[in-house]
Amino acid sequence: MLEEPYRWIEAIRNRREYLDDQLQGASPVVGMAYQGGLLLLTTTPGPRKLFEVYNQIAFAAIGHPADIEKLRKAVIDIAHIEGFNLSASDVSLQRLVSFGIGPLMKGAFDEIFRSPFIARVLLAELELEEGEFYAIDADGSFAPVGPFAAVAGTEASAEGVVARLKERDGRDLELEDALRVALEAWACGRLLAEGEEERAPDDARIVDFLGRTLAEVNVEAAVLDRALPTKSKFRLLESADLERLLAAFAH
Amino acid sequence: MEGGDFLSLLKQNGHLPEAPTAGVAGEVAFEGTEGTTILAVRYAQGVLIAGDRRATMGNTVVYDRADKVLCIDDEAVMALSGSPAVAYEIARMLEMSLQHYRRSQLQRLSMDGKLRTLSRLLRENLPLAMQGIGAVVPIFAAFDERDASGKIFFYDLLGAQFESVDFCTTGSGSHIVRGALYYLDRWGENRLAEMGEADSLELVLKMLETAAEYDTATGGYKPGARVFPQVMSVTSEGIEIIDEGRLEEIYRTRLPRD
Repeated sequence: MLEEPYRWIEAIRNRREYLDDQLQGASPVVGMAYQGGLLLLTTTPGPRKLFEVYNQIAFAAIGHPADIEKLRKAVIDIAHIEGFNLSASDVSLQRLVSFGIGPLMKGAFDEIFRSPFIARVLLAELELEEGEFYAIDADGSFAPVGPFAAVAGTEASAEGVVARLKERDGRDLELEDALRVALEAWACGRLLAEGEEERAPDDARIVDFLGRTLAEVNVEAAVLDRALPTKSKFRLLESADLERLLAAFAH
Repeated sequence: MEGGDFLSLLKQNGHLPEAPTAGVAGEVAFEGTEGTTILAVRYAQGVLIAGDRRATMGNTVVYDRADKVLCIDDEAVMALSGSPAVAYEIARMLEMSLQHYRRSQLQRLSMDGKLRTLSRLLRENLPLAMQGIGAVVPIFAAFDERDASGKIFFYDLLGAQFESVDFCTTGSGSHIVRGALYYLDRWGENRLAEMGEADSLELVLKMLETAAEYDTATGGYKPGARVFPQVMSVTSEGIEIIDEGRLEEIYRTRLPRD
Protein backbone atom coordinates (compact mmCIF):
# COMPACT_ATOMS: atom_id res chain seq x y z
CA MET A 1 0.00 0.00 0.00
CA LEU A 2 2.80 2.35 0.90
CA GLU A 3 4.43 1.82 -2.49
CA GLU A 4 1.86 4.18 -3.89
CA PRO A 5 3.36 7.68 -3.95
CA TYR A 6 0.24 9.25 -2.54
CA ARG A 7 0.20 6.91 0.46
CA TRP A 8 3.82 7.64 1.13
CA ILE A 9 3.27 11.38 1.06
CA GLU A 10 0.31 10.93 3.33
CA ALA A 11 2.36 8.85 5.76
CA ILE A 12 5.07 11.50 5.84
CA ARG A 13 2.46 14.17 6.43
CA ASN A 14 1.03 12.20 9.33
CA ARG A 15 4.48 11.84 10.74
CA ARG A 16 5.07 15.56 10.55
CA GLU A 17 1.80 16.18 12.35
CA TYR A 18 2.68 13.61 14.98
CA LEU A 19 6.04 15.26 15.60
CA ASP A 20 4.55 18.75 15.76
CA ASP A 21 2.03 17.44 18.22
CA GLN A 22 4.67 15.78 20.39
CA LEU A 23 6.96 18.81 20.41
CA GLN A 24 4.30 21.45 20.83
CA GLY A 25 4.52 21.79 24.59
CA ALA A 26 8.33 21.95 24.76
CA SER A 27 10.06 24.77 26.57
CA PRO A 28 12.08 26.73 23.98
CA VAL A 29 15.88 26.79 23.94
CA VAL A 30 17.30 30.26 23.36
CA GLY A 31 20.74 30.75 21.84
CA MET A 32 22.50 34.07 21.52
CA ALA A 33 25.91 35.62 21.12
CA TYR A 34 27.09 37.81 23.98
CA GLN A 35 30.28 39.66 24.67
CA GLY A 36 32.15 36.65 26.10
CA GLY A 37 30.97 34.04 23.59
CA LEU A 38 27.72 32.17 23.16
CA LEU A 39 24.89 31.65 25.64
CA LEU A 40 22.22 28.94 25.74
CA LEU A 41 19.21 29.10 28.02
CA THR A 42 16.09 27.03 28.59
CA THR A 43 13.98 25.54 31.35
CA THR A 44 13.54 21.89 32.11
CA PRO A 45 11.33 19.73 34.31
CA GLY A 46 14.37 17.64 35.23
CA PRO A 47 16.57 16.10 32.53
CA ARG A 48 19.40 18.27 31.24
CA LYS A 49 18.94 19.84 27.84
CA LEU A 50 22.26 21.68 27.35
CA PHE A 51 25.46 19.72 26.79
CA GLU A 52 29.09 19.90 25.78
CA VAL A 53 30.00 18.21 22.50
CA TYR A 54 33.55 19.32 21.84
CA ASN A 55 35.96 22.02 22.92
CA GLN A 56 34.06 24.81 21.19
CA ILE A 57 30.76 23.09 20.36
CA ALA A 58 27.62 22.79 22.49
CA PHE A 59 24.42 20.85 22.00
CA ALA A 60 20.87 21.74 23.05
CA ALA A 61 17.60 20.07 22.20
CA ILE A 62 13.91 19.94 22.93
CA GLY A 63 11.92 16.73 22.73
CA HIS A 64 11.94 13.24 24.16
CA PRO A 65 14.80 12.79 26.65
CA ALA A 66 15.77 9.37 25.27
CA ASP A 67 15.95 10.73 21.71
CA ILE A 68 17.93 13.74 22.89
CA GLU A 69 20.42 11.37 24.50
CA LYS A 70 20.75 9.28 21.34
CA LEU A 71 21.40 12.34 19.20
CA ARG A 72 23.79 13.85 21.70
CA LYS A 73 25.79 10.64 21.85
CA ALA A 74 25.90 10.39 18.06
CA VAL A 75 27.23 13.94 17.70
CA ILE A 76 29.80 13.46 20.47
CA ASP A 77 31.04 10.22 18.88
CA ILE A 78 31.40 11.80 15.44
CA ALA A 79 33.18 14.86 16.84
CA HIS A 80 35.66 12.78 18.83
CA ILE A 81 36.43 10.42 15.96
CA GLU A 82 37.10 13.48 13.79
CA GLY A 83 39.22 15.06 16.47
CA PHE A 84 41.23 11.88 16.86
CA ASN A 85 41.77 11.19 13.17
CA LEU A 86 42.61 14.78 12.26
CA SER A 87 42.95 17.41 14.96
CA ALA A 88 40.79 19.32 17.40
CA SER A 89 40.72 22.33 15.07
CA ASP A 90 39.25 20.20 12.27
CA VAL A 91 36.10 19.45 14.25
CA SER A 92 33.69 21.93 12.70
CA LEU A 93 30.00 22.35 13.30
CA GLN A 94 29.23 22.75 9.63
CA ARG A 95 30.57 19.24 8.95
CA LEU A 96 29.03 17.71 12.07
CA VAL A 97 25.64 18.96 10.96
CA SER A 98 25.68 18.39 7.23
CA PHE A 99 27.39 14.96 7.31
CA GLY A 100 26.42 13.83 10.79
CA ILE A 101 23.30 14.73 12.63
CA GLY A 102 21.37 16.12 9.62
CA PRO A 103 21.40 12.88 7.59
CA LEU A 104 20.91 10.85 10.78
CA MET A 105 17.67 12.64 11.64
CA LYS A 106 16.49 12.70 8.03
CA GLY A 107 17.08 8.96 7.77
CA ALA A 108 15.02 8.22 10.85
CA PHE A 109 12.28 10.57 9.69
CA ASP A 110 12.00 8.91 6.27
CA GLU A 111 11.79 5.34 7.55
CA ILE A 112 8.09 5.33 8.16
CA PHE A 113 7.97 1.95 9.86
CA ARG A 114 10.36 3.10 12.53
CA SER A 115 10.05 5.82 15.07
CA PRO A 116 11.60 9.20 14.14
CA PHE A 117 13.63 11.25 16.59
CA ILE A 118 11.21 13.34 18.58
CA ALA A 119 13.58 16.26 18.91
CA ARG A 120 14.66 19.59 17.55
CA VAL A 121 18.32 20.37 18.00
CA LEU A 122 20.29 23.57 18.37
CA LEU A 123 24.06 23.35 18.03
CA ALA A 124 26.42 26.18 18.88
CA GLU A 125 29.97 26.76 17.75
CA LEU A 126 32.25 29.34 19.26
CA GLU A 127 34.55 30.89 16.72
CA LEU A 128 37.52 33.19 17.06
CA GLU A 129 35.59 36.36 16.37
CA GLU A 130 32.01 35.46 16.97
CA GLY A 131 30.03 32.25 16.83
CA GLU A 132 27.19 30.60 15.12
CA PHE A 133 24.19 28.37 15.71
CA TYR A 134 22.71 25.60 13.59
CA ALA A 135 19.09 24.58 14.04
CA ILE A 136 18.05 21.07 12.99
CA ASP A 137 14.38 20.17 12.73
CA ALA A 138 12.95 16.73 13.54
CA ASP A 139 12.87 15.89 9.80
CA GLY A 140 16.60 16.49 9.52
CA SER A 141 16.43 19.80 7.71
CA PHE A 142 19.10 22.14 8.98
CA ALA A 143 20.32 25.66 8.51
CA PRO A 144 22.98 27.96 9.93
CA VAL A 145 21.07 30.65 11.78
CA GLY A 146 23.70 33.18 12.79
CA PRO A 147 24.25 34.61 16.27
CA PHE A 148 20.58 34.54 17.39
CA ALA A 149 18.69 31.29 17.43
CA ALA A 150 15.95 29.20 18.99
CA VAL A 151 14.29 25.82 18.84
CA ALA A 152 10.74 25.72 20.15
CA GLY A 153 7.50 23.79 20.12
CA THR A 154 5.95 25.86 17.36
CA GLU A 155 7.31 27.85 14.46
CA ALA A 156 5.68 31.05 15.70
CA SER A 157 7.36 30.63 19.06
CA ALA A 158 10.85 30.12 17.57
CA GLU A 159 10.39 33.05 15.22
CA GLY A 160 9.20 35.23 18.08
CA VAL A 161 12.29 34.42 20.14
CA VAL A 162 14.70 35.12 17.29
CA ALA A 163 12.93 38.38 16.41
CA ARG A 164 13.22 39.54 20.00
CA LEU A 165 16.90 38.53 20.23
CA LYS A 166 17.69 40.42 17.03
CA GLU A 167 15.89 43.49 18.28
CA ARG A 168 17.73 43.43 21.63
CA ASP A 169 21.08 42.53 20.01
CA GLY A 170 23.06 41.36 23.06
CA ARG A 171 26.39 40.88 21.31
CA ASP A 172 28.06 43.58 23.40
CA LEU A 173 26.47 42.60 26.71
CA GLU A 174 28.20 41.07 29.72
CA LEU A 175 26.95 37.66 30.81
CA GLU A 176 24.63 38.96 33.49
CA ASP A 177 22.77 41.31 31.16
CA ALA A 178 22.81 38.76 28.35
CA LEU A 179 21.14 36.23 30.66
CA ARG A 180 18.31 38.66 31.22
CA VAL A 181 17.84 39.19 27.49
CA ALA A 182 17.84 35.42 26.95
CA LEU A 183 15.36 34.75 29.75
CA GLU A 184 12.97 37.40 28.46
CA ALA A 185 13.24 35.96 24.96
CA TRP A 186 12.50 32.53 26.42
CA ALA A 187 9.36 33.90 28.09
CA CYS A 188 8.32 35.50 24.81
CA GLY A 189 8.66 32.13 23.09
CA ARG A 190 6.80 30.34 25.84
CA LEU A 191 3.88 32.75 25.67
CA LEU A 192 3.71 32.46 21.88
CA ALA A 193 3.82 28.66 22.08
CA GLU A 194 0.92 28.58 24.47
CA GLY A 195 -1.09 30.28 21.76
CA GLU A 196 -2.38 32.93 24.10
CA GLU A 197 -0.75 35.69 22.13
CA GLU A 198 -1.38 36.68 18.57
CA ARG A 199 1.56 39.01 18.35
CA ALA A 200 4.83 39.16 20.30
CA PRO A 201 4.03 39.96 23.94
CA ASP A 202 5.21 43.30 25.34
CA ASP A 203 7.70 43.73 28.20
CA ALA A 204 5.11 44.15 30.92
CA ARG A 205 3.45 40.90 29.92
CA ILE A 206 6.82 39.12 29.88
CA VAL A 207 7.86 40.39 33.30
CA ASP A 208 4.49 39.39 34.69
CA PHE A 209 4.75 35.94 33.11
CA LEU A 210 8.26 35.38 34.45
CA GLY A 211 7.15 36.46 37.91
CA ARG A 212 4.42 33.86 37.88
CA THR A 213 6.32 30.95 36.33
CA LEU A 214 9.95 31.12 37.45
CA ALA A 215 9.21 29.63 40.86
CA GLU A 216 7.89 26.47 39.22
CA VAL A 217 10.53 25.87 36.56
CA ASN A 218 14.18 25.00 36.61
CA VAL A 219 16.25 27.45 34.54
CA GLU A 220 19.22 25.84 32.80
CA ALA A 221 21.89 27.94 31.12
CA ALA A 222 25.31 27.25 29.65
CA VAL A 223 28.01 29.26 27.92
CA LEU A 224 30.77 28.73 25.45
CA ASP A 225 33.10 31.20 27.09
CA ARG A 226 36.07 32.39 25.06
CA ALA A 227 37.86 33.50 28.23
CA LEU A 228 38.04 30.03 29.82
CA PRO A 229 41.70 29.00 30.08
CA THR A 230 40.99 25.35 29.30
CA LYS A 231 40.73 23.78 25.85
CA SER A 232 37.09 23.16 26.51
CA LYS A 233 35.13 26.41 26.49
CA PHE A 234 31.84 24.93 27.68
CA ARG A 235 30.52 25.77 31.12
CA LEU A 236 27.16 24.86 32.58
CA LEU A 237 26.09 27.78 34.76
CA GLU A 238 25.54 27.00 38.42
CA SER A 239 22.68 28.19 40.55
CA ALA A 240 24.91 30.91 42.01
CA ASP A 241 25.37 32.34 38.49
CA LEU A 242 21.61 32.56 38.04
CA GLU A 243 20.63 33.71 41.51
CA ARG A 244 20.52 37.43 40.78
CA LEU A 245 18.76 36.96 37.48
CA LEU A 246 15.99 34.91 39.06
CA ALA A 247 15.69 37.24 42.04
CA ALA A 248 15.11 40.17 39.67
CA PHE A 249 11.87 38.62 38.44
CA ALA A 250 10.57 37.21 41.71
CA HIS A 251 7.46 38.92 43.00
CA MET B 1 26.59 -0.28 28.89
CA GLU B 2 26.74 1.43 25.58
CA GLY B 3 28.95 4.42 25.02
CA GLY B 4 31.83 5.97 26.83
CA ASP B 5 34.39 3.55 25.45
CA PHE B 6 36.37 5.53 22.91
CA LEU B 7 38.75 2.72 22.01
CA SER B 8 35.90 0.38 21.05
CA LEU B 9 34.17 3.20 19.20
CA LEU B 10 37.24 3.75 17.03
CA LYS B 11 37.55 0.02 16.40
CA GLN B 12 33.89 -0.37 15.45
CA ASN B 13 34.24 2.40 12.93
CA GLY B 14 37.44 1.03 11.48
CA HIS B 15 39.61 3.90 12.65
CA LEU B 16 42.05 1.80 14.60
CA PRO B 17 44.08 -0.28 12.18
CA GLU B 18 45.90 -3.36 13.40
CA ALA B 19 49.51 -2.67 14.28
CA PRO B 20 51.70 -3.27 11.25
CA THR B 21 54.10 -6.19 11.50
CA ALA B 22 57.59 -5.73 10.18
CA GLY B 23 58.66 -8.92 8.43
CA VAL B 24 57.89 -12.31 9.92
CA ALA B 25 56.79 -12.31 13.51
CA GLY B 26 59.52 -13.52 15.79
CA GLU B 27 62.23 -12.73 13.26
CA VAL B 28 63.26 -9.54 14.99
CA ALA B 29 64.86 -9.94 18.35
CA PHE B 30 63.12 -8.03 21.10
CA GLU B 31 64.97 -4.94 22.12
CA GLY B 32 63.62 -2.27 24.41
CA THR B 33 63.92 1.19 22.90
CA GLU B 34 63.68 3.58 25.75
CA GLY B 35 66.51 6.06 25.58
CA THR B 36 65.51 8.59 28.19
CA THR B 37 65.12 9.11 31.91
CA ILE B 38 61.81 9.87 33.49
CA LEU B 39 61.06 9.79 37.17
CA ALA B 40 58.33 10.49 39.66
CA VAL B 41 58.82 11.14 43.37
CA ARG B 42 56.26 11.56 46.11
CA TYR B 43 56.68 14.53 48.42
CA ALA B 44 54.69 15.99 51.27
CA GLN B 45 52.03 17.68 49.09
CA GLY B 46 51.79 15.28 46.17
CA VAL B 47 53.94 13.98 43.36
CA LEU B 48 56.67 15.52 41.21
CA ILE B 49 57.04 13.96 37.81
CA ALA B 50 59.89 14.87 35.48
CA GLY B 51 61.70 13.91 32.32
CA ASP B 52 64.73 14.94 30.32
CA ARG B 53 64.23 16.40 26.82
CA ARG B 54 66.46 14.27 24.61
CA ALA B 55 65.09 12.07 21.85
CA THR B 56 67.50 9.59 20.33
CA MET B 57 67.62 7.09 17.51
CA GLY B 58 70.40 4.59 18.07
CA ASN B 59 73.35 6.74 19.01
CA THR B 60 72.07 9.83 17.23
CA VAL B 61 70.44 12.70 19.10
CA VAL B 62 67.34 13.52 17.09
CA TYR B 63 65.85 16.32 19.13
CA ASP B 64 66.73 18.15 22.32
CA ARG B 65 63.35 19.56 23.24
CA ALA B 66 61.09 16.53 23.28
CA ASP B 67 58.16 16.68 25.69
CA LYS B 68 57.96 13.47 27.64
CA VAL B 69 55.75 14.60 30.50
CA LEU B 70 52.21 15.14 29.30
CA CYS B 71 48.99 16.31 30.97
CA ILE B 72 46.27 13.77 30.33
CA ASP B 73 43.54 15.90 31.85
CA ASP B 74 43.45 18.44 34.67
CA GLU B 75 44.07 15.75 37.29
CA ALA B 76 46.52 13.28 35.83
CA VAL B 77 49.98 13.39 34.25
CA MET B 78 51.84 10.78 32.30
CA ALA B 79 55.55 10.57 31.58
CA LEU B 80 56.76 8.38 28.77
CA SER B 81 59.87 6.48 27.96
CA GLY B 82 60.12 4.47 24.80
CA SER B 83 59.33 4.89 21.14
CA PRO B 84 58.21 8.52 20.74
CA ALA B 85 55.74 7.92 17.88
CA VAL B 86 53.87 5.28 19.84
CA ALA B 87 54.21 7.13 23.13
CA TYR B 88 52.59 10.28 21.77
CA GLU B 89 49.84 8.29 20.14
CA ILE B 90 49.09 6.49 23.40
CA ALA B 91 49.06 9.77 25.33
CA ARG B 92 46.76 11.34 22.75
CA MET B 93 44.50 8.33 22.75
CA LEU B 94 44.28 8.36 26.53
CA GLU B 95 43.52 12.07 26.62
CA MET B 96 40.80 11.70 24.00
CA SER B 97 39.32 8.66 25.73
CA LEU B 98 38.96 10.60 28.97
CA GLN B 99 37.45 13.59 27.16
CA HIS B 100 35.02 11.42 25.27
CA TYR B 101 34.04 9.63 28.46
CA ARG B 102 33.49 12.85 30.38
CA ARG B 103 31.38 14.41 27.65
CA SER B 104 29.30 11.38 26.73
CA GLN B 105 28.76 9.98 30.23
CA LEU B 106 28.51 13.36 31.97
CA GLN B 107 30.90 12.28 34.70
CA ARG B 108 34.64 11.96 35.10
CA LEU B 109 36.38 8.65 34.74
CA SER B 110 37.71 7.56 38.14
CA MET B 111 41.42 7.24 38.75
CA ASP B 112 41.13 3.46 38.58
CA GLY B 113 39.25 3.80 35.31
CA LYS B 114 42.05 5.93 33.87
CA LEU B 115 44.67 3.40 34.95
CA ARG B 116 42.69 0.60 33.37
CA THR B 117 42.32 2.54 30.11
CA LEU B 118 46.08 3.05 29.95
CA SER B 119 46.59 -0.69 30.57
CA ARG B 120 44.34 -1.49 27.64
CA LEU B 121 46.19 0.92 25.36
CA LEU B 122 49.53 -0.65 26.23
CA ARG B 123 48.11 -4.09 25.63
CA GLU B 124 46.85 -2.96 22.21
CA ASN B 125 50.37 -1.86 21.46
CA LEU B 126 51.88 -5.26 22.25
CA PRO B 127 52.53 -6.33 18.61
CA LEU B 128 54.66 -3.23 18.03
CA ALA B 129 56.40 -3.57 21.37
CA MET B 130 57.30 -7.20 20.65
CA GLN B 131 58.91 -6.19 17.37
CA GLY B 132 61.29 -4.01 19.26
CA ILE B 133 60.17 -0.79 17.59
CA GLY B 134 57.24 0.47 19.59
CA ALA B 135 57.74 -0.29 23.25
CA VAL B 136 56.41 2.30 25.66
CA VAL B 137 56.87 2.28 29.43
CA PRO B 138 54.87 5.04 31.06
CA ILE B 139 54.70 6.43 34.57
CA PHE B 140 51.31 7.76 35.59
CA ALA B 141 50.78 10.23 38.43
CA ALA B 142 47.52 11.43 39.91
CA PHE B 143 46.19 12.83 43.15
CA ASP B 144 43.96 10.32 44.88
CA GLU B 145 41.10 12.15 46.61
CA ARG B 146 40.17 9.05 48.58
CA ASP B 147 43.16 9.21 50.88
CA ALA B 148 44.31 12.72 49.90
CA SER B 149 47.73 11.68 48.64
CA GLY B 150 49.66 11.72 45.40
CA LYS B 151 49.99 8.33 43.72
CA ILE B 152 52.56 7.02 41.27
CA PHE B 153 51.83 4.08 38.98
CA PHE B 154 54.07 2.38 36.49
CA TYR B 155 53.51 -0.23 33.84
CA ASP B 156 55.36 -2.98 32.11
CA LEU B 157 55.31 -3.51 28.35
CA LEU B 158 52.31 -5.80 28.55
CA GLY B 159 50.20 -3.25 30.38
CA ALA B 160 50.42 -4.69 33.87
CA GLN B 161 49.96 -1.86 36.32
CA PHE B 162 51.88 -1.46 39.56
CA GLU B 163 51.56 1.14 42.23
CA SER B 164 54.95 2.31 43.27
CA VAL B 165 55.32 3.44 46.81
CA ASP B 166 57.51 6.53 46.99
CA PHE B 167 59.49 6.83 43.78
CA CYS B 168 59.68 5.37 40.34
CA THR B 169 61.93 5.79 37.36
CA THR B 170 62.08 4.26 33.89
CA GLY B 171 64.09 4.67 30.72
CA SER B 172 67.71 3.96 29.84
CA GLY B 173 69.06 6.23 32.57
CA SER B 174 66.78 4.89 35.26
CA HIS B 175 69.17 2.35 36.73
CA ILE B 176 71.55 5.18 37.45
CA VAL B 177 69.09 7.13 39.56
CA ARG B 178 67.15 4.25 41.03
CA GLY B 179 70.00 3.31 43.31
CA ALA B 180 70.58 6.90 44.34
CA LEU B 181 66.89 7.38 45.15
CA TYR B 182 66.82 4.20 47.18
CA TYR B 183 69.90 5.26 49.10
CA LEU B 184 68.48 8.69 49.87
CA ASP B 185 65.09 7.36 50.83
CA ARG B 186 66.55 4.76 53.17
CA TRP B 187 69.52 6.55 54.71
CA GLY B 188 68.93 10.21 53.88
CA GLU B 189 67.99 12.83 56.43
CA ASN B 190 64.32 12.61 55.49
CA ARG B 191 62.19 10.07 53.72
CA LEU B 192 61.55 11.29 50.15
CA ALA B 193 57.82 11.41 50.75
CA GLU B 194 58.28 13.74 53.71
CA MET B 195 60.24 16.38 51.81
CA GLY B 196 58.81 19.79 51.05
CA GLU B 197 58.35 20.91 47.46
CA ALA B 198 61.55 22.94 47.17
CA ASP B 199 63.76 20.10 48.45
CA SER B 200 62.01 17.54 46.33
CA LEU B 201 62.33 19.69 43.22
CA GLU B 202 66.05 20.10 43.83
CA LEU B 203 66.37 16.34 44.28
CA VAL B 204 64.56 15.60 41.02
CA LEU B 205 66.80 17.96 39.04
CA LYS B 206 69.91 16.48 40.63
CA MET B 207 68.74 12.99 39.69
CA LEU B 208 68.21 14.00 36.06
CA GLU B 209 71.67 15.58 35.94
CA THR B 210 73.14 12.40 37.36
CA ALA B 211 71.39 10.29 34.76
CA ALA B 212 72.55 12.63 31.99
CA GLU B 213 76.11 12.30 33.22
CA TYR B 214 76.21 8.52 32.75
CA ASP B 215 73.56 7.82 30.12
CA THR B 216 74.13 9.20 26.63
CA ALA B 217 70.44 8.94 25.77
CA THR B 218 69.49 11.30 28.58
CA GLY B 219 69.91 14.99 27.95
CA GLY B 220 71.09 17.34 30.66
CA TYR B 221 70.34 20.96 31.46
CA LYS B 222 71.80 23.24 28.78
CA PRO B 223 71.84 26.81 30.07
CA GLY B 224 73.25 28.30 26.85
CA ALA B 225 70.53 26.81 24.65
CA ARG B 226 67.95 27.24 27.41
CA VAL B 227 67.00 23.58 27.43
CA PHE B 228 65.36 22.63 30.72
CA PRO B 229 63.90 19.33 31.81
CA GLN B 230 60.16 19.14 32.18
CA VAL B 231 58.80 19.00 35.70
CA MET B 232 55.18 18.97 36.84
CA SER B 233 53.63 18.70 40.26
CA VAL B 234 50.38 16.88 40.97
CA THR B 235 48.69 17.98 44.19
CA SER B 236 45.21 18.50 45.60
CA GLU B 237 45.32 21.86 43.81
CA GLY B 238 45.68 20.17 40.44
CA ILE B 239 48.60 20.08 38.05
CA GLU B 240 51.31 22.69 37.99
CA ILE B 241 53.91 22.95 35.27
CA ILE B 242 57.06 24.16 37.01
CA ASP B 243 58.15 27.11 34.93
CA GLU B 244 61.62 27.45 33.47
CA GLY B 245 62.43 30.57 35.45
CA ARG B 246 62.07 28.64 38.66
CA LEU B 247 64.10 25.70 37.36
CA GLU B 248 66.84 28.05 36.23
CA GLU B 249 66.98 29.61 39.67
CA ILE B 250 67.45 26.21 41.30
CA TYR B 251 70.15 25.21 38.84
CA ARG B 252 71.96 28.46 39.44
CA THR B 253 71.84 28.43 43.23
CA ARG B 254 71.65 24.77 44.21
CA LEU B 255 73.26 22.86 41.33
CA PRO B 256 76.19 25.00 40.21
CA ARG B 257 78.14 23.62 37.29
CA ASP B 258 81.61 22.37 38.11
